[in-house]
Amino acid sequence: MSSFELICPAGSPAALRAAVDAGADAVYLGFRDETNARNFPGLNFSRPELAEAIAYAHARSVQVFVAINTYPQAGNLAPWQRAVDDAARLKADAVILADLGLLAYAAEHHPELRLHLSVQASAANAEAIRLYREAFGVRRVVLPRVLTVPEIARLNAEVDVETEVFVFGGLCPMAEGRCSLSSYATGLSPNKQGVCSPASHVRYEPRGEALASRLGGFTINVFGAGEPAGYPTLCKGRFVPGGGTSSDPAYLFEEPTSLNALALLPELKAAKVCALKIEGRQRGKAYIAAVVAAYRRALDAFDRGLPVPALDLEAMVEGGAQTTGAYTRAWR
Amino acid sequence: MRDPGFMVQDQAHETAPDPRARDVEVQLTRAGLGVARRLGDRAGGLLFDRLLRILEARHPRAFAALGELPDARLLIDPVDAPAALLLRVGPTLALRVCDRSAEAEATVRGPCARLLDLLEGRIDGDALFFRRELSIEGDTALILALRNTLDGEEMDLFGDVAAAAGPLRHALPVARRNAGRALDLLATARRFAPPPLRWGMTMLERRLTGPRQGA
Ligand code: SF4
Repeated sequence: MSSFELICPAGSPAALRAAVDAGADAVYLGFRDETNARNFPGLNFSRPELAEAIAYAHARSVQVFVAINTYPQAGNLAPWQRAVDDAARLKADAVILADLGLLAYAAEHHPELRLHLSVQASAANAEAIRLYREAFGVRRVVLPRVLTVPEIARLNAEVDVETEVFVFGGLCPMAEGRCSLSSYATGLSPNKQGVCSPASHVRYEPRGEALASRLGGFTINVFGAGEPAGYPTLCKGRFVPGGGTSSDPAYLFEEPTSLNALALLPELKAAKVCALKIEGRQRGKAYIAAVVAAYRRALDAFDRGLPVPALDLEAMVEGGAQTTGAYTRAWR
Repeated sequence: MRDPGFMVQDQAHETAPDPRARDVEVQLTRAGLGVARRLGDRAGGLLFDRLLRILEARHPRAFAALGELPDARLLIDPVDAPAALLLRVGPTLALRVCDRSAEAEATVRGPCARLLDLLEGRIDGDALFFRRELSIEGDTALILALRNTLDGEEMDLFGDVAAAAGPLRHALPVARRNAGRALDLLATARRFAPPPLRWGMTMLERRLTGPRQGA
């Protein structure tokens, strides 16, 4: 039996097929609306597409998880409840939820449906996780990307719930579900509208040989000639401190590095992590195919006790640099 | 040449071109743009309307999604081709050849080969953008919507067009398989051709495809 389940993203039917064919154990995806935290134009699944996706995946023994992980708006619960009903009707293997009310709705109306707690719920301690387990029967928790590996190990020793951790892709450095930077700059947030730093508010401006990235009227970064560019996610901006008097812009919150925890497989196994998750429902199928295949090879080698092959994926990730993120953050 | 690291596993596409056949297809695309520009608005327009209808029949999901977008124009500028393309999305979907200075709500710029790979989802658009091989300006949401829509398809421009061309569809996989050998033969023929003929061939190529980057 393999040490970990490999959970892979899909933003379109073609990306789902790419993930399944490249060796995913499960694929997570969302409906084409504000009920999921990757509500980007042209992305995600209609109901018929989900039905086809599930048929394709199940025929190859791959599971499908439906992320319904934004927070319903007051007085407008219907789209979120309908999403849970449809995921259950179409025989999704699990739904990934964050909102307490929606968890209660799913537990009550679809007792047979497997519930996973989204990273958006930011459940990072044993008491919180136990509560989700006892109140709603949550079977798995996706841990926020703020814990170290020893913390994850301690957590797993205390709770009777499977844990899933992010191992590759873009980083959201704050406690998920609690960040308001995007709302501040654009009025739209990942927690409500399912978009952080939405494309509708993004502009790229050439400035001679340089390229400026702007979000909602704020300059988030200026990339020099030939310097790798990035998306203007607010927490990954390079700013001039001191009211613009310094000439050296610096990253204020986080450098735009990308998570890669491949080197931590032995520690994650010892910490009793059940599933490894790849971020990137907004990325194209070429990216999905390459990353999933690379991780599949690495996990297969790990299971057979062979040396884990290094991933040659630097060129595909934002910032072109990789980090093990909070998992090994010494100052914590 | 494409980065091998970025390629989608080609085994799934039986007719996927090998790199040399792909090179021919890129050159044909550039030549096609040159020819379309010379044809003028009317004849060129008819040609592109036909192309859109062929692609729509094969990719109804993508075309429905493009039709649902707000009315907007996107300038697609292959920097090494003789002309650019103006794609109008929304209720009146249209594709026309145009000047690279044409007015549009958004612009995508990059080498023709990269844009073709992107259209067919063979390459990761974000990675291209991060590496500054692709530049975008204007309405970012529109560009993302188009990218996401096309990426959700398994498009193969030449394969799709050949499939609509009746008996020709059987010829394409054969041509793609044999492209390398045919190119070698052509190169040999060129080497042994008398100089005036050789220059004539080069001039004709230039007129069709425009100046090549790095050539
Ligand atoms: S701004 Fe950064 S920290 Fe905040 S939600 Fe977006 S990615 Fe996460």
